[in-house]
Amino acid sequence: MDVPDLKIYPKALVCEESNIKGDVIVSAGCVIHPHCNINAENGSIIFGENCIVEEYATISNKNKSPGNYEILYIGCNNVFEVGCTVEALKIGDKNVFEAKSIVSNEVEISNGCIIGAGCRLEGKQTLLENTVIYGNDCLQREALEKQGSQILQIDYLRKLLPNYHHLRKSNYDPKKIRSAV
Amino acid sequence: MELPDIVYSKDEYVETASGNKVSRQTVLCGSQNIVLNGKVIVQSGAVIRGDLANVRTGRFCVISKNSVIRPPFKQFSKGIAFFPLHVGDHVFIGENAVVSAAQIGSFVYIGKDAVIGKRCILKDCCIIEDGAILPPETTVANYMRFTKNGTMEGGQGNPNFVPPAMQDKMVEFTKSFYEHFVKAG
Repeated sequence: MDVPDLKIYPKALVCEESNIKGDVIVSAGCVIHPHCNINAENGSIIFGENCIVEEYATISNKNKSPGNYEILYIGCNNVFEVGCTVEALKIGDKNVFEAKSIVSNEVEISNGCIIGAGCRLEGKQTLLENTVIYGNDCLQREALEKQGSQILQIDYLRKLLPNYHHLRKSNYDPKKIRSAV
Repeated sequence: MELPDIVYSKDEYVETASGNKVSRQTVLCGSQNIVLNGKVIVQSGAVIRGDLANVRTGRFCVISKNSVIRPPFKQFSKGIAFFPLHVGDHVFIGENAVVSAAQIGSFVYIGKDAVIGKRCILKDCCIIEDGAILPPETTVANYMRFTKNGTMEGGQGNPNFVPPAMQDKMVEFTKSFYEHFVKAG
């Protein structure tokens, strides 16, 4: 499957079995597992550095604005775990979307937030920094301590995944383009 | 209770010598690290991540549609490690379930849309209800039922939260599921 609008920076790992549609930019250090769905048919999606997208995670851009498309910016160090559905307006850095969490359109997510497993986040709102959504009733509170970084996991996956999966080659190198100009 | 026949087309499933029936639409990553011990059904859309660590299942397991079997990891000060995932015999894993347990005993029933957090331990004969979410590192003891509301029920004096003769029921259920999972024509 060839996606002409997919830009993969060097050092990003994108499995060939991933399901990517539309205009997507995957920055350096990202790990895209097989069988995730990234749908950018309504507008482009830009992943910051070191994001992880696991199986059956669905990320789609549903930002609608009359005339031109709006871009869904996803910051650095975000983790989208198995089976999460994310359609947020904008996503900051260091957020974790746990398994089967649902974030609907109109939600803006700042930095350091954790959306717990199975939690739903709906309606127009902006999450403050370090918010944790947890429990059956999707309660909110502020995290007491900072969460650890995901960089160790990314390092491990970067060593492991090339042994088992066909990867899409990186096709976009900002340095080369700069030198060509 | 007699189960209705589930008929599949010949092209959709592969049957191995040991009687495993594996759909062609599954995603078996790192298949050299996956051991299915015989008469296991893996339905379409299921994902088994053998690339992360070894996955071993016992006999007569059912892994339903779109479920994800994913070995858990733990973060240490120097890097992370993935742990092998062992599943016992006669285990049913429902549709859309996400399983990151460290160990699953035998005769376990996991409902559909359940999420088993990282490094959970499920002992023999327990039930995880549909849509239940197990927090990471939970242990569910023998004959306990983990409900959708996040409570653990059963234990001493409350024997009826799993059916009496849970073991026999699961043996019967998974065996009859296997026998009624038949090829068309």
